Amino acid sequence: MSGRPARLLDPGLCLTLRPMAYPSFFEMYRAAIKNTWTVEEVDFSTDVSDLQTKMTDAERHLVHRLVAFFATGDSIVANNLVLNLYRHINAPEARMYLSRQLYEEALHVQFYLTLLDTYVADPEERHRAFAAVENIPSIQKKADFCLRWLETTAELNRLETRPQRQQFLLNLICFAGCVEGLFFFGAFAYVYFLRSRGLLHGLAGGTNWVFRDESAHMAFAFEVAKTIRSEEADLFDADMRRAVREMFDEAVACETQFAQDLLGQGVVGLSIGEVRQYLEFCADQRLATLGLPKQYGARNPLAFMDLQDVQEVANFFERRVSAYQVGVVGEVTLDAAF
Amino acid sequence: MLTETEIEGTTATTMHNGAAPVRARTPSDDAYPQTTMRVRKRNGSAEPVNVNKIVRAVGRSCVGLPEVDALRVATKTISGLYDGATTRELDQLSIQTAAGLIFEEPQYARLAARLLATYIDKEVRGQEIHAFSQSVLTAQKLGLANERLTTFVSNNARKLNDAITVERDRELEYFGLRTVYDRYLLRHPKNRLVIETPQQFFLRIACALSENIAEALELYRLFSTLEYLPSSPTMFNAGTRHEQLSSCFLLDSPEDHLAGIYQKYADAAMLSKFSGGIGLAYHRVRSRGSLIESTNGHSNGIVPWLKTLDASVAAVNQGGKRKGACCVYLEPWHADIEDFLAMRENTGDEASRTHNLNLANWIPDLFMQRVEADADWSLFDPKVVPTFPDLYGDDFAHAYAEAEQAGVAVKTVKARELYARMMRSLAQTGNGWMTFKDKSNRACNQTALPGRTVHLSNLCTEIIEVTSGSETAVCNLGSINLGRHLVRSAEGGLSFDFEKLARTVRTAVRQLDQVIDLNYYPIPSTEASNLRWRPVGLGVMGLQDVFFQLRLPFDAPAARALSQQIAEEIYFHALTASADLAVEKGRHPSFEETRAARGELQFDAWGVTPVDTARWEALRARVRLVGLRNSLLVAIAPTATIASIAGCYECIEPQVSNLFKRETLSGDFLQVNRYLVAELKPLGLWTENTRARLKMAEGSIQALPELPEELRTIYRTVWEVPMRSLIDMAADRGAFIDQSQSLNLFAESPNIGQLSSMYFHAWKQGLKTTYYLRSRPATRIAKATVEAPTAASADASAVACSLENPESCEACQ
Repeated sequence: MSGRPARLLDPGLCLTLRPMAYPSFFEMYRAAIKNTWTVEEVDFSTDVSDLQTKMTDAERHLVHRLVAFFATGDSIVANNLVLNLYRHINAPEARMYLSRQLYEEALHVQFYLTLLDTYVADPEERHRAFAAVENIPSIQKKADFCLRWLETTAELNRLETRPQRQQFLLNLICFAGCVEGLFFFGAFAYVYFLRSRGLLHGLAGGTNWVFRDESAHMAFAFEVAKTIRSEEADLFDADMRRAVREMFDEAVACETQFAQDLLGQGVVGLSIGEVRQYLEFCADQRLATLGLPKQYGARNPLAFMDLQDVQEVANFFERRVSAYQVGVVGEVTLDAAF
Repeated sequence: MLTETEIEGTTATTMHNGAAPVRARTPSDDAYPQTTMRVRKRNGSAEPVNVNKIVRAVGRSCVGLPEVDALRVATKTISGLYDGATTRELDQLSIQTAAGLIFEEPQYARLAARLLATYIDKEVRGQEIHAFSQSVLTAQKLGLANERLTTFVSNNARKLNDAITVERDRELEYFGLRTVYDRYLLRHPKNRLVIETPQQFFLRIACALSENIAEALELYRLFSTLEYLPSSPTMFNAGTRHEQLSSCFLLDSPEDHLAGIYQKYADAAMLSKFSGGIGLAYHRVRSRGSLIESTNGHSNGIVPWLKTLDASVAAVNQGGKRKGACCVYLEPWHADIEDFLAMRENTGDEASRTHNLNLANWIPDLFMQRVEADADWSLFDPKVVPTFPDLYGDDFAHAYAEAEQAGVAVKTVKARELYARMMRSLAQTGNGWMTFKDKSNRACNQTALPGRTVHLSNLCTEIIEVTSGSETAVCNLGSINLGRHLVRSAEGGLSFDFEKLARTVRTAVRQLDQVIDLNYYPIPSTEASNLRWRPVGLGVMGLQDVFFQLRLPFDAPAARALSQQIAEEIYFHALTASADLAVEKGRHPSFEETRAARGELQFDAWGVTPVDTARWEALRARVRLVGLRNSLLVAIAPTATIASIAGCYECIEPQVSNLFKRETLSGDFLQVNRYLVAELKPLGLWTENTRARLKMAEGSIQALPELPEELRTIYRTVWEVPMRSLIDMAADRGAFIDQSQSLNLFAESPNIGQLSSMYFHAWKQGLKTTYYLRSRPATRIAKATVEAPTAASADASAVACSLENPESCEACQ
């Protein structure tokens, strides 16, 4: 138990925080704490009337499916975190980050739960939405993809062998790159598409914060992957690369069939082809971050996603500003620089 | 419902004659069947989409926009369609498509605006409204217009119809036009179609605010050229049946009993309903633990009352245009101050949280002096010290010291602890604004007589007016677009046009004064106050636009001097215009009770001597002789919405970013600094690469070393301009602002030391008020559309020094 393991994936429950082996994980933990938000801050007041009066049946279908996916998706990510990531990433500072992430996943579930309760008035329909994994094929297919990776890795008790470590690494990449980096990024795109047309500000407001959290989760997981790679470069062999490429192919296909379900009834301004191209663009970004060659060569076709990358200037008459920090330190002085 | 002509819009008219149908573009997607696109017309018939005709229709709006590619807009529009979409959807989509390309090329903003203008025009004409007078007549028939307006218009129909200048639509940028269309144009109550074009809207507002045709035409010219705009409530309601045109209401604190508290909820709701923003003091309401004699129980303090106010404010929907908004003011001697400061936090007991209320501290000098001396600070129950809210300056300091000596304080804390608590609240929530009671009172024209006290500022901290139980202060606002007050000399040099500014000020003051008499007063205490004091708030917007056009860095000495000179000129001409109005229509009834009647002007309270003393002495003498029509004249409001209509930067603020999005009720809009783009293009630097890096750097150009140093200084963002310079410029300006200014301050990642020094400086400089503290998120959202950084740059950041890891830190070795 005592002392630090040589490598991040060496089995055990390391407790040594000083000297710290991976300070960047600790910094990520601290940054996450500063971005605390609560569901109560999200203002849903105009969403229901948007849904009822401003949107077509096809658009309402899109929203219901989307929220159903979010509500189950974050739960799956949380399960994987507990069953796999927390078990095998053997550094206390990394586990601190994961604990924080686990809380955030629960917060996201709470947010989408509140949304579903608000948006879907009919109790029968609400039950169906919560059972999305069982009865909505396009969501079931994505869930199957996730669960396959989740369950195979969960069978590993200790990462002793090279194949076991590769199996874990694939799980890590799957949940960061494909689930958070594609499924969630895909879902965010629909939210921002709707917002670009002035719809569902509550959904978009909360999603802004979820997006910020998910971006951080992804950055953490990729930092873990990078660390593992620097410690055990041989894990990234040709088989591994091929498996990653195949996994992304499958994820893009999964998410595209979800897009067909969401957009199939005809939504002006967003086509299935554009969504697919956006997913390919995202997949390329994830591959590049992992230091792997890009696979699709796609450009981002969604102009409204450009908006997402740009700083907001909120008008307080209309929205709450979502950029404030928790965790401010220091003492009163009257002559500090400013 | 829509007529066929209307539905056909900009593009559908070109869709006959069966040209070759176009396949939907679904790039890199072979798995999905490509269908022949058809659009559904109003009569239900389906027509194949004809790309050539869409290109031609878009092309008609591209005249004079060489950088715009009509084909690209048309093909991209079609790729976003689904089979069976309506022609109206097609039109809307082409506008959104053009707007989506703004970041690449700002000219697309002009194209999007023109397409939208055509769309609006069709919508109005589709209802057989072709002239201004028809538009007003329609509004009358629908019960939307008031009689004064309709009479005025029908008496002058020909002249007014001729005055409409359609080309002025082109002054509006896309965001501006979108905002006007979504929220300002009058709509049919049932089918929600707009019944006026933007030009008809501007002329309607002008007519509603004028006494004669010449005034109406002059106001129309100012509005439609975007040189001056009245506040949103004025533009929402002028000429309508409920002509509530004021922006701001300042309600004195409820008296310390149940009936008084509930009456204030009703007052705030009524004022909110017609677009007003509310400031509400709470100094007089007893604190937690205070005895309630009638029931022999103890009070729960102010927080539960404010929780109820929070719900009430959120429930009021201002005609569907925006939500109610309110700022509560509290003095820091109130024993509930710490609970008050926690009300906006996002953790803790929800029963004590008010997410919809804004909060402000109304701070006596004594508190800041105790902070400076690192001394104690006592907290009191208002029930025990009922005189405190009405005292300021030395009177307050004496009463406070006496109460301390009498030992009636509820609690004593270190002044710096409470000050630190205020700073933390600002950093964490942006709220808990620092506003200064004593300067606000000493430098207020309305407090000449004893017993007159300013108890609070307003929702946006720019209004400073006295209140009492029977007087609710009101203010009508308007803002001059400074960016449209420059002149080019014969030699080609650009300079600020002070003569034009003087003309605009005079017209604006007359209009704002007119509002006082026209206004619909939702509660009686507002009318009583407004007719006695007749205050108005003339402000500015686009100061940053002036500096960009003159290529002045925001904190350059020349910029600072110009900013002060503009303030001085505005105050001078506003006073002059108000004196003229006093001669013409009479002074305001309480003029003799003002400081101006004694010859004291704003800069006297600041110990400042204006540049041209002679003209000021002449004016001072004239004011004493003829009086003023308005007790207060100048206030710099935040101008959030009207600046987006005018297409300029907000009030006196530096740009927040060279690239940002505006989130509004009508969706998100991207804004790129067009001045910067115009500078970069001739240098060949406005490239895909620059854009990606600009986005990556959150709209800052400081990390673009290939840009000339001069540009990097001029085009700094507010995060890169020293806050000290903003505060000092505000103080320079303050000597000529008889109300106050909405001064936001910015700190990237604030800490207590930095903030405490900053706000201490603001107080020392004599500012009356400050507004939000803006900070940035601790972690950022991953850039969804920017290419992942290369491995090299990612590794470089990993080398940075980390005290957490002394063993492996290379930077310190």
